[in-house]
Amino acid sequence: MAEPLQRRSRAGQAAAAQLDLLAPPAAVPLGVPLAVPTAATATAPEALAGTHELWLAAYLPGLAFEALQDEFTSTGPRAVLEDAERSPRVLLVDEAARRLGIRPGLTLAAALALSSELEMKVRDVSRERVWLERTAELALAYTSRVSLEPPDGLLLEIRGSVRLFGGLEALCRKFEAHCHASRRRPVCAVAPSPLAALAGARAARALRVTSMARLAGALAPLPLAALRWDEDTLHRLASVGVRTVGEALRLPRAGFARRFGPARLRLLDELVGRRAAARRGFQAAERFRGRCEPDYELESLDAVLAALEPLLIDLEHFLETRQRGVTVIRCQLRHRGQPPTCCVLRLALPEARAARFAALLRERLGTLTLAAPVRRCELRTGPLLPRPLATEVLWHPGEHGGDGATAESLALVEQLRARLGRDGVYSLGLYADHRPERMIHSVEPAVGEAIRGQVPWSATRRPLWLLAVPQALRERHALPVYDGALELVRGPERIETGWWDGAEVERDYYVARDGRRAWLWIFRERAAPHRWFLHGFFG
Amino acid sequence: MSPLDSRLAQLLEHPAIWRGRSAAHVPVLRTGFGALDESLPGGGWPSAGLVEILTAARGLGELRLLVPLLAALTRATPARWSVLVAPPFEPFPPAFVAHGITLESLLVVRTAAPLWAVELALRSGSCAAVLAWVERARPRHIRRLQLAAEQGRTLGFLLRLESALKESSPASLRILFEPTRQGARVTLVKSRGGARGSVELSWSGHGDG
Repeated sequence: MAEPLQRRSRAGQAAAAQLDLLAPPAAVPLGVPLAVPTAATATAPEALAGTHELWLAAYLPGLAFEALQDEFTSTGPRAVLEDAERSPRVLLVDEAARRLGIRPGLTLAAALALSSELEMKVRDVSRERVWLERTAELALAYTSRVSLEPPDGLLLEIRGSVRLFGGLEALCRKFEAHCHASRRRPVCAVAPSPLAALAGARAARALRVTSMARLAGALAPLPLAALRWDEDTLHRLASVGVRTVGEALRLPRAGFARRFGPARLRLLDELVGRRAAARRGFQAAERFRGRCEPDYELESLDAVLAALEPLLIDLEHFLETRQRGVTVIRCQLRHRGQPPTCCVLRLALPEARAARFAALLRERLGTLTLAAPVRRCELRTGPLLPRPLATEVLWHPGEHGGDGATAESLALVEQLRARLGRDGVYSLGLYADHRPERMIHSVEPAVGEAIRGQVPWSATRRPLWLLAVPQALRERHALPVYDGALELVRGPERIETGWWDGAEVERDYYVARDGRRAWLWIFRERAAPHRWFLHGFFG
Repeated sequence: MSPLDSRLAQLLEHPAIWRGRSAAHVPVLRTGFGALDESLPGGGWPSAGLVEILTAARGLGELRLLVPLLAALTRATPARWSVLVAPPFEPFPPAFVAHGITLESLLVVRTAAPLWAVELALRSGSCAAVLAWVERARPRHIRRLQLAAEQGRTLGFLLRLESALKESSPASLRILFEPTRQGARVTLVKSRGGARGSVELSWSGHGDG
């Protein structure tokens, strides 16, 4: 869709009417003039001077339409309605509808009388907000300082970017082309103060002012309606013959503040840059969400992976523009009439490569059985994390001087975990406890990172293997039996501890040998039945 | 020696060429037992390849045989993983530390189907050694693992039960491990280079200390 849109815009009409009406400065009876306008609009390219900020305002006149354009099913006459309490009116129309005579402001009945094929949608303010935020994300490619100007504007501070993009005009053209490619039609204006840039864009002027000195003059012909003041104030100003910014600026300050309020005066000061105007910076979404709904149901793992691939490439791009990585990806596969299948991918290090995600997802999905064919795939990430910079090493891992190859080492852990689950792969850690079963705990694998934990005593007499649960031994002539009678070689060593947490042990440990000459670690309970247990193997 | 001879000798040095009784020069890792080093082709464990260790049961001391190697590998810098795949019992960290093994580069993998994990670890190149307790493995699986170990330049140990002795195996080294009163007897069942024989090893530390 690329038809120009029309908007019922007071600002636009006013701008056309006031275009040539820059009156010579009128005599001001009281006070000092606010600003003396210089020449007409300064559209000629200027060299950047001074250290003030430079703002590019992007105004999206067709926002309500653009936000809904994926919802329309036809390409014929289309309109977005404003649902104003039982009397819906046309808000925006496309080119086809305009040719049929449908204009913004018409009632629904009138519009339908003109064309029965008109496809209509009621505007959706929340989607407009999302669309505006998406546009701001796109604008982040041009500067890191972007702020939202709801409902339909964006501000970009571009002073530092002008040189990079080869001049102001080149930057504006590139930004506009970028917006057009993603189906947005912004009106752009540049001025040293944010409000002035916004007013210029909303008045549909291609304002290009780079110096503070020329700002007031350039703003003078703009209609006051471009400032989006309320109807009542505009009407009162119009009744004293003030319709443009220039006329308002020439009014005496004291009288203006008294009649229209000090807040409006402050706005005028911000407009001409006499007063700083703070803007809240826009932060790109910190998570990625994507979904795909294929036209047919996916029955095989390969088909699901193929459907996920574009999402993963989107994700890679998303992460690349932010120089971030993710460690958690949630993938949800929805079926018809069945609860969705979920799988969570966890990575040891922040990662951003689509190929890597695809390989891990293949392993992870391979362990699942699909209850039914897949109708929709959704992908969500956990929080974005700073990504370790990838550096190429001169030496290969293992060569002399080569690094510990941490990234590859952890890649192995991830790949194993993708199939075996998180608990299936771990490193060994130590707790300082005298109870053998309490000493074992698993820790996150991280090659090269020291595992904390002290062996509380010289443990050369401890077995290499421990049984998770001590195995009760039969007895013959008061001696334990395991694959033949056991020969007690050394002992007893008493371990009697743990009264504080309810898992008290009172055991006498022995080293024993069985008929196959295996070395065993056994204990006898000190409590009443005095049973024997096998607890470990030295081999 | 004529230039042709020296070039021929150079060619024959290649590890992929196996010339009957003469062991090719492959880099080896010390076993930590002098007597065993002497009897093994090349003077130690091959640094890349698959070794099968056969025992009558689990926990007879076969891990003890590999402890000096693990201690050396886990303390090396840069550290690479030493992986225990499907160990039959819980590895007890204090004893590992006491034997000089650093826990940081030890990775434990629990799985009911270990062969996939073994192959992945061997092939990845980020492991120094992979120890796997495998019950059932067909010769073609072992062949695959042997290739993976060579490709990833990793030393793999398959710890299997004696019953596997009947089957043929493409592993580069096959040894039988039997505990004795003082330590253990290690018998070379198969080796590249054709060396045979058995070695008595003794170790201290469990009972006599």
